[in-house]
Amino acid sequence: MRSYSIFILLLFCIASFIRSSSSSVPKHTFLGISPQDEDYYKSSDSIKCKDGSKKFTKSQLNDDFCDCPDGTDEPGTSACPTAKFYCRNAGHVSLFLFSSRVNDGICDCCDGSDEYDGRVKCPNACWEAGKVARDRLVKKINTYNEGVTLRIKEIEQAKIAIAKDEADLTKLQNEEKLLKGIVEELKERKEQIEKAEEKERLQKEKEENEKQKAEEALRENGKAEEEGKVENEKVEQEANSEDKPKESTDDDDKIGNIEDSFVNEDPNVDENEGEPTSKVETSDSSKTEAVPLNKEEKHAVKNKHESASPRHNDDSTVSTEIDQDAGSKVSPDEDKKAESDASETTEGLSREELGRLVASRWTGEETSPSSDPSWLEKIQKTVKNVLDAVNIFKTPVNISDAAHVRKEYDESSAKLSKIQSRISSLTQKLKHDFGPEKEFYAFYDRCFEIKQNKLRTPSCSTLYVYKVCPYKQASQEEGHMTTRLG
Amino acid sequence: VAFLFLIFLASQTVHSWKKDEFRACDQTPFCKRARFRKPGACTLIAHDVSISDGDLTAKLIPKAPHDQDQDQIKPLTLSVSVYQDGIMRLKIDEDPSLDPPKKRFQVADVVISEFETKKLWLQSASTEKINGDDGGLSSVVYLSDGYEAVLRHDPFEVYVREKAGNRRVVSLNSHGLFDFEQLRVKKEDEDWEERFRGHTDTRPYGPQSISFDVSFYGSDFVYGIPEHASSFALKPTRGPGVEESEPFRLFNLDVFEYLPESPFGIYGSIPFMVSHGKSGQSSGFFWLNAAEMQIDVLAKGWDAEGGILMPTEQSRIDTFWMSEAGIVDTFFFVGPGPKDVVKQYVSVTGLPAMPQLFSTGYHQCRWNYRDEEDVENVDSKFDEHDIPYDVLWLDIEHTDGKRYFTWDKMLFPHPDEMQRKLAAKGRHMVTIVDPHIKRDESFHLHKDASQRGYYVKDATGKDYDGWCWPGSSSYPDMLNPEIRSWWAEKFSYDNYVGSTPSLYIWNDMNEPSVFNGPEVTMPRDALHLGGVEHRELHNAYGYYFHMATAEGLLKRGDGKDRPFVLSRAFFAGSQRYGAVWTGDNSADWDHLRVSVPMVLTLGLTGMTFSGADVGGFFGNPEPELLVRWYQLGAYYPFFRGHAHHDTKRREPWLFGERNTALMRDAIRIRYTLLPYFYTLFREANVSGVPVVRPLWMEFPSDEAAFSNDEAFMVGNSLLVQGIYTARAKHASVYLPGKESWYDLRTGTAYKGGKVHKLEVSEESIPAFQRAGTIVPRKDRFRRSSTQMVHDPYTLVIALNSSQAAEGELYVDDGKSYDFKHGAYIHRRFVFSNGHLTSSPVGNSRFSSDCIIERVILLGYNPGAKTAFVEPGNQKAEIELGPLRFGGQHAAVAVTIRKPGVRVAEDWKIKIL
Repeated sequence: MRSYSIFILLLFCIASFIRSSSSSVPKHTFLGISPQDEDYYKSSDSIKCKDGSKKFTKSQLNDDFCDCPDGTDEPGTSACPTAKFYCRNAGHVSLFLFSSRVNDGICDCCDGSDEYDGRVKCPNACWEAGKVARDRLVKKINTYNEGVTLRIKEIEQAKIAIAKDEADLTKLQNEEKLLKGIVEELKERKEQIEKAEEKERLQKEKEENEKQKAEEALRENGKAEEEGKVENEKVEQEANSEDKPKESTDDDDKIGNIEDSFVNEDPNVDENEGEPTSKVETSDSSKTEAVPLNKEEKHAVKNKHESASPRHNDDSTVSTEIDQDAGSKVSPDEDKKAESDASETTEGLSREELGRLVASRWTGEETSPSSDPSWLEKIQKTVKNVLDAVNIFKTPVNISDAAHVRKEYDESSAKLSKIQSRISSLTQKLKHDFGPEKEFYAFYDRCFEIKQNKLRTPSCSTLYVYKVCPYKQASQEEGHMTTRLG
Repeated sequence: VAFLFLIFLASQTVHSWKKDEFRACDQTPFCKRARFRKPGACTLIAHDVSISDGDLTAKLIPKAPHDQDQDQIKPLTLSVSVYQDGIMRLKIDEDPSLDPPKKRFQVADVVISEFETKKLWLQSASTEKINGDDGGLSSVVYLSDGYEAVLRHDPFEVYVREKAGNRRVVSLNSHGLFDFEQLRVKKEDEDWEERFRGHTDTRPYGPQSISFDVSFYGSDFVYGIPEHASSFALKPTRGPGVEESEPFRLFNLDVFEYLPESPFGIYGSIPFMVSHGKSGQSSGFFWLNAAEMQIDVLAKGWDAEGGILMPTEQSRIDTFWMSEAGIVDTFFFVGPGPKDVVKQYVSVTGLPAMPQLFSTGYHQCRWNYRDEEDVENVDSKFDEHDIPYDVLWLDIEHTDGKRYFTWDKMLFPHPDEMQRKLAAKGRHMVTIVDPHIKRDESFHLHKDASQRGYYVKDATGKDYDGWCWPGSSSYPDMLNPEIRSWWAEKFSYDNYVGSTPSLYIWNDMNEPSVFNGPEVTMPRDALHLGGVEHRELHNAYGYYFHMATAEGLLKRGDGKDRPFVLSRAFFAGSQRYGAVWTGDNSADWDHLRVSVPMVLTLGLTGMTFSGADVGGFFGNPEPELLVRWYQLGAYYPFFRGHAHHDTKRREPWLFGERNTALMRDAIRIRYTLLPYFYTLFREANVSGVPVVRPLWMEFPSDEAAFSNDEAFMVGNSLLVQGIYTARAKHASVYLPGKESWYDLRTGTAYKGGKVHKLEVSEESIPAFQRAGTIVPRKDRFRRSSTQMVHDPYTLVIALNSSQAAEGELYVDDGKSYDFKHGAYIHRRFVFSNGHLTSSPVGNSRFSSDCIIERVILLGYNPGAKTAFVEPGNQKAEIELGPLRFGGQHAAVAVTIRKPGVRVAEDWKIKIL
């Protein structure tokens, strides 16, 4: 070891003495050759290029002139771009370097063997470098050990969680049986009522037709009201269909609650109850758990995001407004293109708005309407408003038996379907492979996120959120766009 | 996917260039008006012709004052001056002694001071009656050996001609289109304001435009007047056969997604035009004027109705020049060779700066490298893939809220350490510094500038407040030398906190780009030093900014370190301050294609250090396009990969092993050729002859080369042609001249003077070495150019039909100005009669321990086994070796192995 480094030092001295001879030929013929390879070079006087293209003599080995296209003849110099330099790095890990690193004035091997033309002095730093590496290895081992402990813990917890889930499942299955019966009964009742109603309705229609024929003047007055009613009904229908996705999200929430209440061993499905003490983690709570890993980063990013985002919003509304204006302004008289109209309207912008608009071309903040989340939100809002309004003005005369039944039926069947979906998701969950000892059980509905700043401009802040849910999906979110990563 | 891509393309074109936001000629009153003028409309005559102060001077007055419109009332002053090397300068202005309402702006600081020392003091003029001039008189003065300058009196016309045979070269007002709107007092019923898309230009001084016709004789094509994305040979813009008639516009603008074929003006302006014709002769014309300019190239027969007939025995190209303001300050260059014209032009506007060696390597840029970790990662990936590069760039996001000279503390907390890490590998960093200063009271730069009153003012005299990256911004008045000097100070290590000696600068948005201004720039009625209106100097604003920044770096390094500043905007003379690039191009084949005429045009007009963003700034290039772009970009004088922030990452290792290998190979070709490139940069630095040249600059009489802008010459030795289509199998390459050309990859010889249909390989684009030349290379690959300094050379000798060749090599320290005091090596290599000799050019004192490790002979009949090296009579072996290294390349070339001669010394290698 020691003698080796002395040897290297000696080499340096020699090299620096004869430096002016301009040669980068190493003094040690077998420089840059790995021990396993030395025999290849020592075998005979005429050595083959490894690619078989040529032969070279021993004197051509490391003579700083590239003879083999694959660099076989110049393992110790920079003459062949394809050659690799081996540094022994005693005390640390040996290494192959690109030949471009040989005598380039930068110490790449910790033993300094890649720099021998005397231009730089590379002290042997392998012991120190090795120490660092060893320390790192020790650290790594510790990390693994910690991991093992964690794993044991997870297994313990998984056992409890599985038992609980299985208990839940049985309970749910019982519930399901009961509910099914109730629902069936209600259904029958409901169908009977509907039949009766249908009869009634037909009769009413008849009567009304007659009435109408008789009273023309009165009809005039009643018309507005009539139409209003029809419209209300329509809106209601539309709202219902529009509202479907929304309802389903509500469902999710409710399921969460139901599940909570089951955990609390409370069979009563009550929406106001079942808040805390839940042991089954929702994705929300897992988020907060994963975040501290990169708390600082997230925090920083967030701040910037917040300070910049209001502007961003302004901007997008400005641009959408323009688009709308442009659209409405197109008149058949003008034979200008819609596009030119769109740009014409920039005249109406304030100087600042114009600046932001033009800047957004480069920064790419303009988003197409279809993917613009604010639009969706807007529509949802308005629909909801309309719904609310309709609800307010809906004036059922009496709560008849029929309505009662209907309501009961709806509620029960909704409950049933919730329980069924809960059952199926629980069965699904239990079917998954959670590792030989179920150590990954707790990962089931956990997600891990990393936020990464993509770009910031004064008027916008874009964030990539990478989310990995081990038993679901991995995604990259940018604003409101989500890309699945597979 | 392809379908989606098409949709994407389609939607892109819809949203791309906003044509309506820029003024066409017929929306530009001075342009529209000028174009309506009929030939012969000008009836000014030269009066009081005399010699005074060494100039030929005259007064221009209307021939019949009462017939003229009332505006032309005062006489104009005309002066003709002549300078060494065949340069005539013609100036026409209002007579200051007649009290015009305002002094017209003359662009200062562009004509170099040395130029005045080249003035020839005229002693006398002869008066002639020239045939065909209807007996009118002309005053003739000496211009140079073989050339004369002529002023015809009635109607006035100015031209240069060959003494022998009186052949005209370049003339002005031969078609009587000259017009000069004189400044005057506003009449009561007049409205001088101009409105465009909600912007009002108050135009307090009213109309003041100038227009005139310029004719080039013995000319088949005209070139120059950058910057436009269009063909190299300028297409006619008006006259028979021209469909969409729009003149070439010179108005520095930040055009979002510019089109790859359009006469509209983009980032820079150089009002210098070069003509070339069958005779093999070139001439040039330069109008020093920084206001908006529009130039028509007139198709043959444009004046058929005008009734003015010119001698038609020689081909001629007529052009029509219009400018919104300023004066007539024009330069006529007689040539006669293409390189002579360029030399004449740079003797007026200055020689291109000698770049630092590192800046001739590969640059890696992106909007944006996010943070220090990103920088470190990209840097280490280059090493991991053994790809050399020299400079890593940081775009606007590195700053604290677009306040230049600052760092985002969160993303770049340790800027100096980051630069030092790069510098430890011999690499450099470039950060962006734009002219818009954030109007933020807590920003010292803004506070300082506003307190000192250093900002450009709006028409009412308040600091002009525009909008750019930082939001509300103001712009320092770079016309003012005091402000330039203030600006330059900001680059000191003390002022620019976090800067280190390995940091250089990028000036962007200096057209200036103003997002909420008319045509995305500053209002024309904004005010500069001395009440100069922005309209008068607009095209030079970026030039002054570039100048101030370069001066800052020069100061920072105590005048010892050559600045590197890349600018987007430019003007005549920008070559003295650094490099330019062709701005925000797009990742498509058309943009790859047009980059060649753009770079050629820039080179022809002095801006030799130029390039286009490799890969295309906007959009995502398909890997094949990216590879082709690297293969072409490796031959741009300025070689940088860059991308918009919305594009996918595209560093060379991100497209699979094969593509990585191809891009690495392209970049390595550049690095092997660095000694050649550096020699060419030196040639440009002493002569103005550009690094990248049109074919006709080397083959002036080869007509087939005149309009070829697919291929170009790198120096006099290499011809390169890009591949501009996807999945190309064949390429037709025209190889000019009578001598052969050697394929750089295979060594195969091709005959000159014909079009070759060549098979195209994915490995490289067609590139050839011309027979009769010697190219110096360094065939070892390093992390960056810094580590190549001591590496040995390879000389590649391509022998011509008489088994001869020659070439040069220039070497200096790569960074300081010591070369100005002789600290350089300049060798000439000559091969003839089987002997290769190295002899010095000039008197140089620079040492280098570099040797020549290899001499490759192309076109040499093998046979000889040994060579002898003098002095010392050393033996060197001759064998067959590969033409290139770094892959599997067959041994095809006669190679002298290890001659071991020193590059700095005289020697001779004899093949026996």
